[in-house]
Amino acid sequence: MDSASIYYLGVTLILFLIFVVIVVRTYSKKHAVRGEEPKFRMMDDDYPN
Amino acid sequence: MNQQEGYADDIVKGFVIWSMVWGLVAVLVGVFISFQIAFPQLNFPPYLTYGRLRPIHTNAGIFGWGIGSFMAFFIYITQRLTRTSLWSPGLAKAQLWLFNIVIALAAVTLAMGMNRSKEYAELEWPVASLVVVLWVIFAVNIVMTIVKRREEQMYISLWYILATLVGVAVLYLVNNAAIPVSLTKSYSAYAGANDANVQWWYGHNAVAMVLTTPPLAIFYYFLPKATGVPIYSHRMGVIAFWSLIFMYLWTGAHHLLWAPVPDWVQTLAMGFSVMLIAPSWAAVFNGYFSMNGQWHQMRENYLVKFLIFGITFYGLQTLQGPSQSIRTFSAFIHFTDWVPGHVHMGTLGWVSLVLFAAIYYTIPRLYHSEIYSIGLANVHFWLVLTGQLIFSITMWIAGVQQAAMLNATNPDGSLHYSFIETMVELYPYWHMRAVGGVIYLAGLLVFLYNIYQTIAGAKTQAVAQRA
Ligand code: HEM
Repeated sequence: MDSASIYYLGVTLILFLIFVVIVVRTYSKKHAVRGEEPKFRMMDDDYPN
Repeated sequence: MNQQEGYADDIVKGFVIWSMVWGLVAVLVGVFISFQIAFPQLNFPPYLTYGRLRPIHTNAGIFGWGIGSFMAFFIYITQRLTRTSLWSPGLAKAQLWLFNIVIALAAVTLAMGMNRSKEYAELEWPVASLVVVLWVIFAVNIVMTIVKRREEQMYISLWYILATLVGVAVLYLVNNAAIPVSLTKSYSAYAGANDANVQWWYGHNAVAMVLTTPPLAIFYYFLPKATGVPIYSHRMGVIAFWSLIFMYLWTGAHHLLWAPVPDWVQTLAMGFSVMLIAPSWAAVFNGYFSMNGQWHQMRENYLVKFLIFGITFYGLQTLQGPSQSIRTFSAFIHFTDWVPGHVHMGTLGWVSLVLFAAIYYTIPRLYHSEIYSIGLANVHFWLVLTGQLIFSITMWIAGVQQAAMLNATNPDGSLHYSFIETMVELYPYWHMRAVGGVIYLAGLLVFLYNIYQTIAGAKTQAVAQRA
């Protein structure tokens, strides 16, 4: 492996770690209820406000 | 602006109508070129040859029908999910004009043979530059609407919309980097294998950012609207979104397996392509689980039928795609008619079925009327489904036969068939594909008639009410 491929894989790894943080945050107990709210609110969006 | 509801909806009507016009052009040209393959004497040089018409078909389909209706529904959906009227309806009007000018210019220049020879990035630099202006206008308007939103949390469709806006901008700029030598000719800024790598990084992410994220935004919005029941899990949608975005960007080189690009790039693309099954199927399951207790609506609600079949084709597409990304499988089906089978399950099955549902849902609401005929909508559904299945299944069988012939060897190891011999064997399949195309076209005409009557009826009703 040359330095380009190590760099390429390094970027992949960083993105993966960011992804893990997103998963942990989304599924944390704190966000459980809040994370599902938009799906109810979008059901009634016929008018602004 | 539609004052009564406070949303700028007239512009949505404009985009929907023009996207249907370009959709019809795409399918008409598609059917014609399928006949040209089946009956080569139908090629009339220089303008009406397969080589000139094929990119007109794909550009009209992906950019005219696809992007045109995505623009319509991004404007429609964003306003509602943010509970805010569009940032600038005037800008959107300019965008509609520019959109049509660009598509018309694309058709004319491609017919004249001006072509960068990069698939899905054929347009020469003057037209491509207009595309950039068009996209900037569009993106600014949507992003500013989101910025001034009244709804704090963003529903999953908005994430997909934002990804599309950013993704397409980056891909288009990088792959269109070129050195112009005249008004009608330019050369890519990259050379050789690098050029191929950039092209297919663009090519496959066009599949991601044009043929996947926008229809997913539309699906996630219109499925709950059609069923009257919220989606199964918003959080699963968010996770699927981020993993899809994380994985797609690395997969382009699966178009270049066995090609002279570094081996590890191919392996990485293969690995990420297989991993893509997870986020893709998370969306499919989200759709299916949203139907818990609602499956009877498949019988009773024609919109649901379009949407659920659409997501099912997405599911099949995202199983077939990763299989094609595996080296051994790719060696078999690459360069055969298998690939158009895959492509059209995605474009005619997944993308178009979801768009049909969105148009059926919005047009009566935008014109304050009812759909002209649910019966005709059902006829439309069965015709396009039958046409698409005939097309795809025929091409898969043709692809396997062609692959088997191309791989057949004599005892001394030499090839048993020449390439042209494999082509001759494919004629019956090409006839069959043309039949599938005609059936699909018939379905599309029924759809257009239904929408035309809905709009015409609404206008007559409005005049009568005023009188
Ligand atoms: C997990 C998702 C997917 C993967 C991994 C995947 C993989 C692939 C592969 C490997 C090819 C190249 C086949 C070959 O030439 O040997 C291909 C072609 C193609 N796929 Fe998919 N696919 C996926 C989903 C989709 C979807 C949802 C669409 C939507 C319409 C789509 C549209 C296309 C198109 C247009 C091409 C043709 C590119 C060309 O012109 O050569 N794919 N796909």
